Amino acid sequence: MRPAFSVIAFTVLSGAGLGLLTWLCMAFLTGAVGDAQSARNALWVAAVLTTVGLLSSTLHLANPKNAWHSFRQFGSSWLSREGVFAILLYPAAILFAIDVEQNGGRQLWPAAATLLLACAVLVSTGMIYACLRTIPHWHNWHTAVGFPLFALGSGGLLVLALTPSIAGRGPIRVVVATLLIAGLVLKYSYYRRYRHVGESAPTANEALKLGLDKKTGAMNATIRLLDVGHAHGNFLTREFGFEVPRNRALTLRLVALLLAFGVPLLQLLWWPELPWFGVVSALAGLAVERWLFFAEARHVVRRYHGMSMY
Amino acid sequence: MKKLGLAIDLDTCVGCHACAVACKEWNGASLMAGGAPDYEPAGAAPDGVWFNRVRHFEVVSNDAPSGCQSATRTVNVPMSCMHCEDADCVKVCPTGASYKRASDGIVLVDPDRCIGCNYCAWACPYGARELDEQQGVMRKCTLCVDRIYDEALPESERQPACVLACPTHARHFGDFADPESKVSQLTAARGGVGLMDSLGYKPVNRYLPLREAAPVDTSKTSARGWRERASAWVNSIIPI
Repeated sequence: MRPAFSVIAFTVLSGAGLGLLTWLCMAFLTGAVGDAQSARNALWVAAVLTTVGLLSSTLHLANPKNAWHSFRQFGSSWLSREGVFAILLYPAAILFAIDVEQNGGRQLWPAAATLLLACAVLVSTGMIYACLRTIPHWHNWHTAVGFPLFALGSGGLLVLALTPSIAGRGPIRVVVATLLIAGLVLKYSYYRRYRHVGESAPTANEALKLGLDKKTGAMNATIRLLDVGHAHGNFLTREFGFEVPRNRALTLRLVALLLAFGVPLLQLLWWPELPWFGVVSALAGLAVERWLFFAEARHVVRRYHGMSMY
Repeated sequence: MKKLGLAIDLDTCVGCHACAVACKEWNGASLMAGGAPDYEPAGAAPDGVWFNRVRHFEVVSNDAPSGCQSATRTVNVPMSCMHCEDADCVKVCPTGASYKRASDGIVLVDPDRCIGCNYCAWACPYGARELDEQQGVMRKCTLCVDRIYDEALPESERQPACVLACPTHARHFGDFADPESKVSQLTAARGGVGLMDSLGYKPVNRYLPLREAAPVDTSKTSARGWRERASAWVNSIIPI
C-alpha cells in the first residue's frame, strides 16, 4: 500500500495525543494529578496533537467538501465511527477542561466520558485497518490491538515528560514500560509472521480460478501474468503496487523496533530524568513503524497484476 | 428482487479490449457515471480511470499425462465490478456514497456524497474502483444503469455497453436471481465461478471456465512411419 504522509502523521500524532488524554483523565479521576498547572499544560498538548492529527487526516481526502456526510454510516463503517467518536470527544474534552479549570477535575462524568471516547477513537482507528479482508497483513488482531497499545505507550511517555509532579510516577513508569514491552513483542511477532501471512493469502489460482479441476475441485495449474493490459501506471498500481526493497524494509523494521520501543524503554529504566529523549524517540520510531505498516501491507488485487503478496 | 450481473465466457474471450473501450466510450460522457476521465491521453504516460480492465494470463495445466505436453492456454480476463452480495466497499464507506440498490443489486457511487477517501477501493479485492483524480470522487462500473432501463432504446440495446460491444459474444448480462435467465442457465451449464470467492464477498458476476483442452501427445512425434522414412531417403539422395 502507498504510505500516505497525512495518514501517518494523523495516526502517530493523534495516537500520542489521545493516549496522553487517556492518561490525564485517569490521573484526574484517581486524584493522582500533582501540580495542576503542568496538568493543564499537558491537556493543551493533548488537544494540539490530536487536533493537528485529525486535520492532517483530512488532507488524505480527495474531496473534503463532502466530509460532513461522513458521520452517517456509524452502523457499518469504522471510519465513520472514528469520525463520530472524534467529534463527540471535543465537547466531552471541553467539559473536562472546564471542570479541570474550575474544580480541579474532580467530577467523574466529564473525565470518564473523555477517557471512553478517546479510547473509542483509538480502537476505531485500529479497526479501520483490521477489518479489511482484502489486506491479510492488516486483517488480524495485531492491527486491532496495536493502534491503541502504541498510542497508550507514547501517551504514557508524554505524561511522564509533561507532568513531573504526578503522584505515583514509579507505578506509572512500570505500566508504561509494560506497554512498551507489549508493543515490542506484538510488533516483533507481527514482523516474524509477515511472510507467513503473505503466503497464506489467496493465491493467483484462487484469484482467477483458471486451473479448477472439474473432478476434484482442486486448483491444478500454474498461472502467470502475460500482459496487465495497460502501458503505464494507474490508480490501482499506484495505490497497491508500492514496494519497499526487502533489505531496506528489514533495516527499517529494526529502526522502528529500536526507536519506538527499545530506546524509550532504556530511557525509562536508566535515564528517568531525560523523559523528552524517550518521547522524541518513540514518536520518530512510531512514524517509521507506521510508514512500514502501509508500505509492507499487500492488497489481494496484486494477484491480478502478477505481483507477490510478501 | 433482482441480482443483475455479467456472465463472462473466458473460453471465447479473445482479449480484444472492445468491452473496455466501449465502457470508456459510454461512461466517459455519461451523466450517470459522471465520467471516466483520462489524464494526458496523448502524453508520455497516458493514464486514466477504467471501469473495466482486461488482463492476460498464461495458464499451464499441471496434470498433463506423462509424455504429453501440458496444455498451455492464454486466458484473457476482463474484470469490472462484481456487484457483490456482501460488498465491503459499501459497508466501509463512511458517508453512504457507496450503496447497493435493493431493487437490482447494482453497486453505485453517489459523487455528491463521496469524500474521495479511497477506503472503498481498499476494501475491494477486484480493483473495481478507481479514483477520479480530477473531481476527487470514486468511480466504478454502473452496469450501465443509464442504458439498461432506458425505454427510449430498443429492447435489444438495453444492455451494458461492454456486452453490446463484445465481438465474440463472450459477455452476457442478466438477472442471476432468476434461474430461467440466460446468465443463470449458462452458469449452471458451464460451471461458472466467482473470482476469489474465498474472501466471502459473494461476487455476482460469474466466469465461465475454459472448455477441456485435449492434451497434445508428444510421445509419437519423433517416431517415423514408412512415409517419413521414404521421404527422408528421397531427400538424402537428391544432391543439392
